[in-house]
Amino acid sequence: MDIDNISELIPQPVPLRDIDDSPGPCCMSFGFDLNPLIQSIEKVGLINPPLLKRDNQGSITIIIGYRRIKALKSLKADGAGCRILSGDDILPVECLLLNLYDNLAVRKLNDVEKGMVLARLIPWIKTLEIVEHYMPFLGLPSNRATLSSYLKIEEEMEVRVRESIACGQLSLRNAIMLLDIDSISRSSIIDLISNLKLTVNQQRQLIEYTVDLSHIQGRPIPDFLDDQSIKEINSDTRMNNPQKGRALIRYLRMKRYPSVSKAERKFKKMISRLNLGKTVKIDHSPSFESPYYRLEVLFKDGQSLREKLENFMREDIDSLRDPWKKKK
Amino acid sequence: MDEGVQKYKSTKSILLQLKDIPVRAEKDDGPEEVACVSNELKRDMGKDTMHLVSYQGEFLKPCPGTKEYICCGYQILNVGTNCPLDCSYCILQTYFNRPNLRVHVNLEEQLGQVFQTIDSDPDKIFRVGTGEFTDSLALDPIIRWSETILRGFSERKNTVLELKTKTANTAGLLGSKYRDRIIVSWSLNSPFISCREEHGAVSLTRRLECARECQSEGFTIGFHFDPIIQHSNWMDEYRKTVDLMDKYIEPEGIIWMSLGSFRFMPALKPIIRRRHPETSILDGEFVLGLDGKMRYFKPIRMELYAFLNELLHQWHPDLGLYLCMESNEVWQESMGWRPETSEGLGNYLDERVRNFFG
Repeated sequence: MDIDNISELIPQPVPLRDIDDSPGPCCMSFGFDLNPLIQSIEKVGLINPPLLKRDNQGSITIIIGYRRIKALKSLKADGAGCRILSGDDILPVECLLLNLYDNLAVRKLNDVEKGMVLARLIPWIKTLEIVEHYMPFLGLPSNRATLSSYLKIEEEMEVRVRESIACGQLSLRNAIMLLDIDSISRSSIIDLISNLKLTVNQQRQLIEYTVDLSHIQGRPIPDFLDDQSIKEINSDTRMNNPQKGRALIRYLRMKRYPSVSKAERKFKKMISRLNLGKTVKIDHSPSFESPYYRLEVLFKDGQSLREKLENFMREDIDSLRDPWKKKK
Repeated sequence: MDEGVQKYKSTKSILLQLKDIPVRAEKDDGPEEVACVSNELKRDMGKDTMHLVSYQGEFLKPCPGTKEYICCGYQILNVGTNCPLDCSYCILQTYFNRPNLRVHVNLEEQLGQVFQTIDSDPDKIFRVGTGEFTDSLALDPIIRWSETILRGFSERKNTVLELKTKTANTAGLLGSKYRDRIIVSWSLNSPFISCREEHGAVSLTRRLECARECQSEGFTIGFHFDPIIQHSNWMDEYRKTVDLMDKYIEPEGIIWMSLGSFRFMPALKPIIRRRHPETSILDGEFVLGLDGKMRYFKPIRMELYAFLNELLHQWHPDLGLYLCMESNEVWQESMGWRPETSEGLGNYLDERVRNFFG
């Protein structure tokens, strides 16, 4: 059978119970919502017949139409009109590519599904070709480090984490950070991320701080995240999720960077003692690394600038110093 | 070894040294990238494989400093990359896309060009070192750099060659007749860090015994406290090292000592965590520096440097102490003076060279 002629195959009725619907070597569907497809089939029936493969032992696997078969089964249909190829007619890699092109023609794959595709391509296609051709085709940067990350997500991550990635709750970059810790710790971090709906940046900080603190304190991550202070933040009914997220990160940062946090607090206190109003602001550089501070004045014209600067000069600005230095 | 390197003298000499080691010639396909490198290789970085290559880049290159911090203006003689030692803090761990102990076997043939560069600027002092991308002496018993590169540096009046190591492989050096303008230096740390983090390096005592031997054999010596790492009892621990130095070394023969606190590219952190899960070197408060590297929060660095500066100054007031990649502000606060610019620091070190070697 020439795969160019697949469209000429006449669909024939196949009992659904005969079709193996476990995610097979061609499957690239993960974390999807079946309901729209179920509703569509209920209303207008099956429009596109799935493509199946029957091997020499007679067992039938899905090449194209994994979701359609799943939807039909959940509708308790007995059978469906499908195109069937014999196992001898088509190579496994051709099945895989058929499914890939079919999927990409109608939808965007999520990051987990992209990992599934790449993992399934690896046994058949040279790495260089995957990197140069298939990765851009999947909308991914064409480099081996990215390939390695996607493969690891597919091969090493638990279903729960992969679900978080697929639904966009956990960013891929943060998921990669989770690869380096054990699955129980991963699970407790994912719990916090999904309970508090942390932003991508907060997720990164949460992972980084907890991994570091667990090392420093010699405590497992789940044990550390079970601390009373963290529980209190999590269960505080006066705060909404974004507020809880911010409070959690603030707490962890203070634990991880006590000296930096202390300097920031002291600096804030020093500035608050000056009567600067709302239009004059003094800032420090990130982590005080630069020796300079920044003064920002909002003014309308030369005269208002002069007034603001004169007022500013009347304040005790000589008291400003690096917060870790003692008073002169 | 790469195809075609058999013709180099150094290759022949190395192969003669390693008679019982299997050798394979292969085409260099450029950098192997992460996905292609097996987990095993990532863990050991190919430290059990020596790769003889003909290096096509420039052999003499300025140390890649940044304008945000003051750099000493060192020149790197690129004799090879990667190192058989396995210090947990080592920056070379990010180079695992180029695994193995890579030895640039065409060095001897390219030295002429290196000296041409040095000779073309007779008023400039070239402070040159081989210890940036590898340990200067770890492979010397096999490669015998001490036989090939000392002479050219020793004979010139506008250069010095510094060999930086954490090993006791000084036999080749001691057997050489060249002493002038050659500096042998050891990286030092606290006993706590040395024992736990400098895997494969010899003990501090052994390093200092070697330094003493080199000193008594007429070599000028140097030391480098880099990376200084904050850890429990760090003051007492670093004091122990300085006490040991006092026991073994004549401080008048030290041309310089650098101090540098631990700093690293952010990409190194997960690699260290993976390769050295028990390490405590990442426990400190690291913030993003102006050069994009993570470094200790500024007052912590100032405290580390000020403590060591005082300790070392008490031992001897003229050790040529300098900070590696720091700001004027940190210099002033911890050392009591500042070089203002990289050129200023370069001048200070050049003056040390003139005082020691004329």
